[in-house]
Amino acid sequence: MGALDNVLLTVDQAISDLFGQWNVYTTAIVGLFVGLVAYQISTRRDPDTHPLLLARQAQASPVRHEGESAVYRSQAAPHGMPLNAGLNVKDPGASKWSRGRDGDLRDIWRQAIAGVQDDGPSKGATGRILTVLGTEHVTEHALADITRQINLIGQHVANQGGNRVAIYLPNSVELLVTLFACAFYNMTAIILPFDQPDDAVLSMLRRSAADTVVTAPGSFPFDAVVKNYPSLRQLVWVVDEGSSHMDWNEVPQGTGGSVNVSTWQDIVTDYPVDAGHDLPAQEGQKDPRDVTIFWQAAPGTTEEMVRFTAGNLVSAVAAQIFAIPTAQRMGPSDLFLPADSLANTHTLALTLAALYSNASVAFNSVAVGANDLAVATRGIAPTILVTTPAALLKTHQETANHLSSVIARNLHWLQTRDLTQNGVMPVASLLTRYYDRLRPGIKPGKLRLIFTAERVGAASPPLSSAVLSDLRVYTGARIIYALTAAKVAGAAAQTGFYDYRVFDDNHSHFGAPLTNTEILLRDTPEHKTTDSLSKGEITVRGPSVAGNEAALGVVGVIRDDNTLAYL
Amino acid sequence: MDYVEQRMAQEAAKPAVAADSSSSLLTPLNLLILGLFLYTAYSFFKPQPPAALPKEEPAVVFTTFTPRTLLPYNGENNAPVYLAVRGRVFDVTRGRNFYGPGGPYANFAGRDASRGLACGSFDEDMLTKDLDGPLDTLSDLGRDELEALQGWEDRFSEKYLVVGKLVPVGEEDK
Repeated sequence: MGALDNVLLTVDQAISDLFGQWNVYTTAIVGLFVGLVAYQISTRRDPDTHPLLLARQAQASPVRHEGESAVYRSQAAPHGMPLNAGLNVKDPGASKWSRGRDGDLRDIWRQAIAGVQDDGPSKGATGRILTVLGTEHVTEHALADITRQINLIGQHVANQGGNRVAIYLPNSVELLVTLFACAFYNMTAIILPFDQPDDAVLSMLRRSAADTVVTAPGSFPFDAVVKNYPSLRQLVWVVDEGSSHMDWNEVPQGTGGSVNVSTWQDIVTDYPVDAGHDLPAQEGQKDPRDVTIFWQAAPGTTEEMVRFTAGNLVSAVAAQIFAIPTAQRMGPSDLFLPADSLANTHTLALTLAALYSNASVAFNSVAVGANDLAVATRGIAPTILVTTPAALLKTHQETANHLSSVIARNLHWLQTRDLTQNGVMPVASLLTRYYDRLRPGIKPGKLRLIFTAERVGAASPPLSSAVLSDLRVYTGARIIYALTAAKVAGAAAQTGFYDYRVFDDNHSHFGAPLTNTEILLRDTPEHKTTDSLSKGEITVRGPSVAGNEAALGVVGVIRDDNTLAYL
Repeated sequence: MDYVEQRMAQEAAKPAVAADSSSSLLTPLNLLILGLFLYTAYSFFKPQPPAALPKEEPAVVFTTFTPRTLLPYNGENNAPVYLAVRGRVFDVTRGRNFYGPGGPYANFAGRDASRGLACGSFDEDMLTKDLDGPLDTLSDLGRDELEALQGWEDRFSEKYLVVGKLVPVGEEDK
């Protein structure tokens, strides 16, 4: 035997000795090992988006001016190109390749009733408009019926000399109808935040110089307004069915002699049934009028009055449509529920985007004040939801309290890992079935997208990226967190649709600018941009900004991934 | 074959000795496989920080130049190459082969190149001599020359960054 043979013999003996120790435990461990590898391979999924796309979300301009940072823009709106100004509306018969108009509110409603125009399985499909009453009752409004209301209310108010129409209503079909009626019948709409103290309502009417008010009885301080605001010429009560038998046209003696009072229901029923079915013709229509919005800052402060042109609003709507990847855009199969006040341009722009995308839209008048997802979604299972950070935070706390068991915590960890490490939304599986019970009171499997927004200066509670990630797991929906401000219609910046990353922060970043905004940071005495860090007062420019440029009055910073965050 | 038989015999003699290890968890083999298992599990579940890209180049600060302060940007000693066209200062460093030292357009580096580009001449006498005087107004140029200048300006705007503006000495704050 040579030396080599000896070595081989020793190796042979060592290996057989080692595997000679194979016993039941070995089998068990190997079983686990194989199981782990099989689990990894079977659950492996490609991330929703390329991780490097999240690593730099905005592009900085190569040149900056002294005293301010570079200008940051969305990756989809390169520097040197015009920002996204409108909906690119193509009139029937226009060439497919021609450039469309920017459009205005009227085009949004025309699109809503026309249905999906693109070729495909859903061509011609329209959304539905629903109102949720109480906890169970859902009524559907026919689109033709709403068109008729738009026409009749518009004609009525315009004939009575209405010019500046204040809308003081909770989230409702009537609010939307009045807004569209103003657009079609050449009046200025003024949207007041609902549920305000009497003197605030009075002051907002004065400042906006409204001559007409559309409101609901019980919430509007009629006597005080009539006494103190003589410019009011016309009032339309939106009466619910239960009290429509009362004579709302009667004005109390001695008050409001000059005010023309009518009810919505009377206006709509008094006209012949076949009147008002056709919208005013598009040819020769006048230029769209402005829409005035009151921005509610922190409670107890005066509302900031902002006039948005029709162009500002459609730009905001268009940018919101573009902000969602093509495969995930809103469509006729979606049910959209605004559970935040429509007096916020963010909610309004999203709602209009849903209408323009022919999604179904549901209104729930109590959803706003409740600040609770479970209450807001009672009686209806939306797929897309707009809500406040406060409501999300409450849901997060309640659900987190339910998740105290070890199994639940581990499942939560596993699903969070899917989001943050693999960059995919967790899928429903046998494991997660257990978890479904613990979800907040939202019908599971339906909700797919939640919009929420920080309101600058309005003391909305901060949402950290960890809370947002938890909520993605709890609700099974993606969450888009936006930065909104008084002078910016829609959002100034918002987190990416596929951005699930978690950072060590108290207040999540706000993602990148939309396709219709560009953001720069102006130096303040304390915070100055240097070559290594961009920080300063957040300033937003673009077609959705009233006056084209607005300083938001808060200090921001551009993080390493080119997302915007508070400093 | 001898070897195989010999090994068979050896193994056959063994079981009596190894019997006690068949029910033990802490055998070397088990520890080995357990270690492998734990390592694999760790590498699967190890949290990874989100992907990051290297930091971007900081933006160039837009500067107001006078003919005198523009002068150093002529590309010598690896300085950037700037030239001015009708009051706009372009960073032409990427075109160093043309505009930098030794290039055909080297005379323009760090100078107001408007007249030279308009007249299609790269000579020294196309440049404004008095660095402290007013800027060249180009008012004596004909239509063809202004057209040529416009063409150059458009090309520059497409290719190069505008990093500042050129003003005569004494008007920096305007």
